[in-house]
Formats: sequence, structure tokens, C-alpha cells
Amino acid sequence: MTKITRTTAISRRGILRGSAALGGAALLAAVPGRALWAAEPEKPAELIIRAWGGSWVAALQKGVSDPFTAATGIAIRHDLTEDNEIQPKVWAAVEQGRVPPIHINWDTTVNATKSALRGVTEDLSDLPNLAGTTDLAKPVGLEGFPIVNTYGYVYVLAYRPEAFPDGAPTSWRDLLDPRLKGRIAFYNDGIGLHFPAQVAGGGTLDGIPDAMQPAWDFVTELKAQEPLLGEDPDFTTWFQNGEIDAACTISTNAREARLNGLDIAWTVPAEGAKFDTDGLWIPKGLPENELYWAKQYINYALTPEAQQVWLDGLGLPGVVPGLTPPADLAGGDASYPTTPADFEKLIRVSNAIQVENQSDWFAQFKAIMQG
Amino acid sequence: MSPSPFPYPIRWRLLDAAEAVADRLWPRRLARHTGWLLVSPALLLVGLLVIGMIQITDASLHTLDRATFRPAPGLTLDNYRTILAQGVYGTIAWRSLLAAMLVTGLTLALAFPYAYAMVRTRRPWVRKALLIALFLPFFIGQVVRAYGWLIILGNNGIVNDALGLVGVEPLRLLFNYWAVVFGLVQYMLPFAVLMLAPALTAIPEEIETAAGSLGADWLRTLWHVVLPMARPGLVGAGLVVFTLTLTDFAMPAILGGGSQDFIANAIYDQFFRTSDQGLGSALTVVLVAAGSLMVGAIFAVFGAGTLALGARR
Repeated sequence: MTKITRTTAISRRGILRGSAALGGAALLAAVPGRALWAAEPEKPAELIIRAWGGSWVAALQKGVSDPFTAATGIAIRHDLTEDNEIQPKVWAAVEQGRVPPIHINWDTTVNATKSALRGVTEDLSDLPNLAGTTDLAKPVGLEGFPIVNTYGYVYVLAYRPEAFPDGAPTSWRDLLDPRLKGRIAFYNDGIGLHFPAQVAGGGTLDGIPDAMQPAWDFVTELKAQEPLLGEDPDFTTWFQNGEIDAACTISTNAREARLNGLDIAWTVPAEGAKFDTDGLWIPKGLPENELYWAKQYINYALTPEAQQVWLDGLGLPGVVPGLTPPADLAGGDASYPTTPADFEKLIRVSNAIQVENQSDWFAQFKAIMQG
Repeated sequence: MSPSPFPYPIRWRLLDAAEAVADRLWPRRLARHTGWLLVSPALLLVGLLVIGMIQITDASLHTLDRATFRPAPGLTLDNYRTILAQGVYGTIAWRSLLAAMLVTGLTLALAFPYAYAMVRTRRPWVRKALLIALFLPFFIGQVVRAYGWLIILGNNGIVNDALGLVGVEPLRLLFNYWAVVFGLVQYMLPFAVLMLAPALTAIPEEIETAAGSLGADWLRTLWHVVLPMARPGLVGAGLVVFTLTLTDFAMPAILGGGSQDFIANAIYDQFFRTSDQGLGSALTVVLVAAGSLMVGAIFAVFGAGTLALGARR
């Protein structure tokens, strides 16, 4: 079975190919947009970008939105509606032939893949700066570029070092320690936990998606620990309020808590950690000129300078080669994989499998946690 | 209009003008239909709800095609079979129902003395203070109030700080069933008091005095006179609290720590997390049907209370 691997998405060949393309991309980025596109249509007064709040939107604004406004004069409005909640609104708008409520959706690749399968996404294959990106930018299993992945992230095991005086946890099974009862947290749909749970429960990655009982057995063991279940902002809040000692969360949330002065660390346990991507996509139904400028925004988000600032804010690895890790993550931090060796520790499952099985996994996780 | 020799007050002239406009918009020959005109906004509202429910019921009869993330074309009861087959929905439904009953009972028990004190007190400042305390929470939304409890009852919250002063280790007061029930009772209390107060106001104080003069102590007066006469208010308040609790979303989501979902949370998950609008719609139909049956049963047993607005059962 080749559909699931310890990810090799950033292969040596991919890095080399990306590096070779970097020169071309730099050139493309330096050329004004009007030279790359047949004609420059009328500028809209603003573009609406759906985004996650807190440090997420702050990073996007600093790295992409503000420079884009400075270059084009087009104001950027960030719509902080949750990605899950904007999805049906966009779907309904496209279905009814209305102009969608946003110009660009900053979305998880799994969610975005659903929209692509539904046929509500514009093709982005003609973005010039795609030439300078790594393999990671391409959504796997979809024709063309209905989505452009813009960075990757790891669902790390974040913890308070004070609660682990003997050193960092080395296994997801360490969360079963009785002293951590009521002091651990996961996403309320189990996202990020399913795949390492499969290994921690004694199964293999080849068992995904057809033989995942080991994962559910391990989740059942975790349920006895009375975990808290929440979403991105909850993890930061819970760490800050002293409610939890450990959590499976995207490293950005733990890093935000650390930047706020808390003593938080993170690790990738022996069983591995899930690696996934987020991306940008444009819904169908926009007027031609707005579509053009929305594409320009995404094109700008793929330039090295935009990626560097945006992803410094998020603390995540981008899709353009040669980015410098932020100072606090330099030196091979588990949440900032860049080399093939880093990726060997991570688990990446194709989005097609995730999309097809997400509802079933969600139902299983809920059945255990709500029982 | 020719000037009138009599100096009519301006108010009369305005009323004449208003009447003339009304006569143009709704001629007198239509007067026998005026009742329908008055009830038309309500009919419009209910009609929209009915159309929405028809669409939701239709959506509930289509499963999700995961290849296109669109509803499959065929009509099927599979979504309802899924609800029956997966025990988690039974668990969540029972949890919601139990909470609705608990919150209703606890809220009425707390609201009754509050409303009684507010209605019967002879000191105006006490009545004003009780009213202000009642209305202040209305200016703060449910979500903000729930977050307030996170601050107060959290591990580093005021309550645990106070317990720490007497040597008690921090207690996990949040993220469990009782935290949700507690938050809901606090949220529902003003609704219940506002519905009870008119019913208690309608009970003449002289009747209580008469009961006392005939030898009844305050407990017997309460049990045999006040409570029976306050029944319409108790039933009306109970219905409102019960239905609001049964369909609540925010308190379980915020104070439940993710493991105390109510039916509304399960519906949200299907619509917004798994994009399965068919299953979400089926859960919605089940919730509406269960809620309607429960309310219908209460109507049948106790009447509609103050919601009947004085009509006979």
C-alpha cells in the first residue's frame, strides 16, 4: 500500500527542483503583475479573505495582506468566520449563482478538497509563482490546482515541562499516566490524533483506513483520562489558565502560548505525529476583475518574501525553498520540518483518504468521547 | 382642505389624517378581514418556518455522496437508521433531555422565591434592586456569560483561589455535566422570573391574608393557595426554560469541555464539521419532533399556562 507513508512529500529531488525554480520565481515576482497577465482589470475596493483569528490572522496580515495593499492599493478585509462555517455559505452561494461572500478561503487542505470535489473552486494553475514552489504546494489527488497549499504543520504533543520533570514525553502512551487525568486535551473531532493513535494502539499505518481498531482502542484508553476537547483557541487558553499539562495540537497554538510567556514545549513522540497542510482557494462566481485580483493575492502569498514574514508569524515551514526558520524554531525544531530526515518522523495521509473517511473517523471518535 | 372655523387640536388633525391613510390602505369594506390582517405577520413567520422544515425534512432523506460532497439523488431513510444505529446519538439525546428536566426544575425552584419577593416586597428600593439584578444579565449574551464562568470557576479562578486560602487543592469545577447544568440554570433564571412575576402579581394579596386569618401558616398558604394560583406562570415559565435548554448549544460547547454535547452540538457537527447536511437535517427533524411531543404532552397535562394568555385549556 503506497497511499500512506512516513511522509516524503519534501523529497530531496523536490527540494532540488524547487531550488532550481526559485531563480525563476524570484524573477517572476520581481516583474510587475501587469506584465505577466494579459491585461490588468479594474481594481475592487477590497478583497475579503477568510482567516483564522489571533496570531493566525496577525501573521497573514503582516506577511501578505498589508504588503499586497501597499503594492496594489486594494484593501484587504479578513473575515474570521470559522472555516467550517463559511463552507456551507460558499457552497450555497455557488449553487444559487450568487456572488460568494468571500474572495479567498484560507482553509485546511482536507476541507478545501471537499469544496474542490464539489466543484466550487477556481483553477489556480496559471499562477506564475507556482513555478517557484515545492511539491508541498500541490494538492495530492486532485486535477490541476483547485487549492494551493501554502505551508505544512505538525500536530505535536505540546506539554508543560513543569509537569514532566523526568523529561519530555517520548510516547503518546505517556498521556495515560494517572497523574495526567483531566489534564490533557485534544481537538474535539480527534483530528491530529487518529494516525499516531493507530500506532500507539499497536496497529500499523497500513491499517489506515480499513483496520483502525488499534486507534479506537487507544482513544478509548485516553477517554478514561477525561481529556478536554476543543479547538485552536482553546488550547492556548487552557495552557494559559493552567487547565492542562499536555495536548495534541498544531504547534502554532503552543508557540503562541510560549510567546505569551508560558513555559511550553513540544515534541514528536516515537509513534510519529500527523503532518498536514493548509491552503488558499477561490470560490467560483466572482466577477472577472475580482477573480483576477484574488489570484494576484494568492500569487503574492507564494513569493519568498511574503512566505518568510507570514510563516515566521505562524512558525511553520512554507512551500518556497530557502526560507529561514524563525529564531526560536531554528536548529531542527520538531514543528518545523525541512529535511527528509525531519519528515521521516511524521505521518502524512493522502487528503483523498482523509476526505473519504473523515465522517466515519469523526463518528468513531465522538462515540468514544461522548459515551 | 378648507380651513375649519373650529380650532381643532393638532392631535385630532393628525388622527384624522392617519385614519384617512388607513382607510386608503385598508378600505372599510375589508373590515371583516381585519383579524386576518393582524395575524398575517404571525402567519408569515410560521409559514417560513414550515417551508424551512419541509426543506430540512427533504434534505434528511438524502445521504451524502462523498465523491462529490453533494446529496445523493435517491430518497432514503438511511440517515434515520444511522441515528438509531449509533448509540452516541441516544446518549446525547438522553443527556439533553435530562438536562432540560433538571434545569427546568432547578430554575423554577430558584425563580419562584425571587419573583415572589419582587412582587410582594413593600420597599420600592428592594423591588428596583431585584429588577436591576434580573435585567443586568440580559445585557450580557449567553456566550459572554459562559466565558465569565470559565474565569470564575477555572483552575486559577476566583473560587479555587478562595478555596486555596483555606488549604483546599484546586478542584476541577468546569468541563463536566454539572457545570453545564449550572450555567444553564443561571442563564434561564431571568426568563423564568419574568414569566412568573405577572402570574404572581395577579394573585390578590388579600387571599393570602384570608388564608392566614383562617389559621393557615405560611407553608400551608404557599402550598394550598399561592402555588396552585401561580400554576399558569409556573407552566409557562417551565415550557420556555425546557425548550430553550433542550435546544441549547453554547453552554454545553463552552462549559462542557467538548465531552458533554447536546443535540444542537451534534447537529452543528454534521452541518459544519463533516459537511453531512442530510444527517444534520435528520437530527434536526428528530429534535423538533421530540421537543414538540414533549411540549404537547405538557400542554395536555398542565395546559399552556400563561402562554395561553387567559384562554381556557
